[in-house]
Amino acid sequence: MDAKIKETLLNPIFKGNPITVLVLGICSSLAVTVELKGALVMSLSVIIVTGLANFILSLLRNTIPMRVRIIVQLVVVAMLVILVDEILKAFAYPVEKQLSVYIGLIITNCIVMGRIEAFALGNKPFASLLDGLANGAGYGLILVIVAFFRELLGSGTLLGARIIPESFYEAGYMNNGLVILPPMALILIGCIIWVQRSLQKDLQEK
Amino acid sequence: MNTNGNIYTVVYSTIIVVLVAAILAFASSALKPMQDANIKAETISQMLDAAGIQAKDVPTTNEQILDKYAETVEEAFVVNIEGQKVSELSIARANIELIDNLKAQNAKLKDEALLPVYKFKNGKTVVPIYGAGLWGPVWGYIAFNDDLKTIAGAYFDHASETPGLGAKIKDDPAFRALFQGKAADFTQEPAFAIVKGAAKDNEVDAITGATMTSKGLSAAIAAWLKAYAPYFINNAPKAEEPVSEPEAETTEE
Repeated sequence: MDAKIKETLLNPIFKGNPITVLVLGICSSLAVTVELKGALVMSLSVIIVTGLANFILSLLRNTIPMRVRIIVQLVVVAMLVILVDEILKAFAYPVEKQLSVYIGLIITNCIVMGRIEAFALGNKPFASLLDGLANGAGYGLILVIVAFFRELLGSGTLLGARIIPESFYEAGYMNNGLVILPPMALILIGCIIWVQRSLQKDLQEK
Repeated sequence: MNTNGNIYTVVYSTIIVVLVAAILAFASSALKPMQDANIKAETISQMLDAAGIQAKDVPTTNEQILDKYAETVEEAFVVNIEGQKVSELSIARANIELIDNLKAQNAKLKDEALLPVYKFKNGKTVVPIYGAGLWGPVWGYIAFNDDLKTIAGAYFDHASETPGLGAKIKDDPAFRALFQGKAADFTQEPAFAIVKGAAKDNEVDAITGATMTSKGLSAAIAAWLKAYAPYFINNAPKAEEPVSEPEAETTEE
């Protein structure tokens, strides 16, 4: 049992990462990774939403009428997302202003619906909660890695604090404007997938 | 129990939806006071930025922003479109009043809008503007020097303009800096404009690649300054007695 919990928790972080292996949630990972701070808040929000959505729907799983199950899932996920948005508005207003569009898009994040369909509807609430949290964390991990490079190379800062010293700029160093734009995020995610596939031989197609 | 029957499905859906609605309504009303406080502080910090008192990107708490406002504001009041003062806005620290429902005022800008005027102790007069950008509303605050003509600074914000293009009205300090030192001409219409190839004193250059946002912001500024024009014209210091013009050195004859 213990090994199973460990598997549920660790698998989505690396071996079955939702972004790099399942290739879900790509759009939002391109959009919110310009700055590390935004990526961290987005990760946290997605972890909370996937965890709670999995938990609630797993509790309800035996009562949901099959014909309307997608709608019931959407209603629950939408409720959680609106709650996250309202709470951010009350306690982290500047971050909410920056992210509001993307927070709304968590509803359409494939990871949330994907995990509900694939896991929560067939498993006990506690295991589903762990699965949701772990998948959110796997998504967040990639987001943070991408945002780290994009903020460092694109703006020369991390969490808003200057990392690359002024003397570099005086010597002719320039921030890379391309890194700020979404295409570079896709290339970075591509690189991460490349690294993961070369480490994990069983992912490679014959 | 048959969870696939029609009656079960309808009853189940109804219960879920009503339950979710109740939870959301409760959360919304419980968090409203905190959200309103955030919006108020945000509004004030935009005014302080426009008036050159405190830059918007300096991290501060809501309380500090309110303190700063109470410390630096001289008076705040509401004028109508004839330029007459209709009511005072409280500036006491415990009860700061703002007109921050700009959308509602914008809808009745031609007749009975409540137009707030915020006067700061450093001589700046700050007024809001509001209008439609490309994807959503744009708004902002423009600060005038005590001659009520020269623009001391401006701060703009938007709901959903394109990042990197239209969003520059907020993100690009260079665009906002263009407004400094320009002068609105309240006898003309528009009193101030954002155009391609700005030549006159009451024009600034538009943003490349953000034509619609620039036009929207320009229209917003024009519409609001038109509404404010009577107040500004009536209260501007007379031309014979220049207020503090460094160039006007006519002592040696």
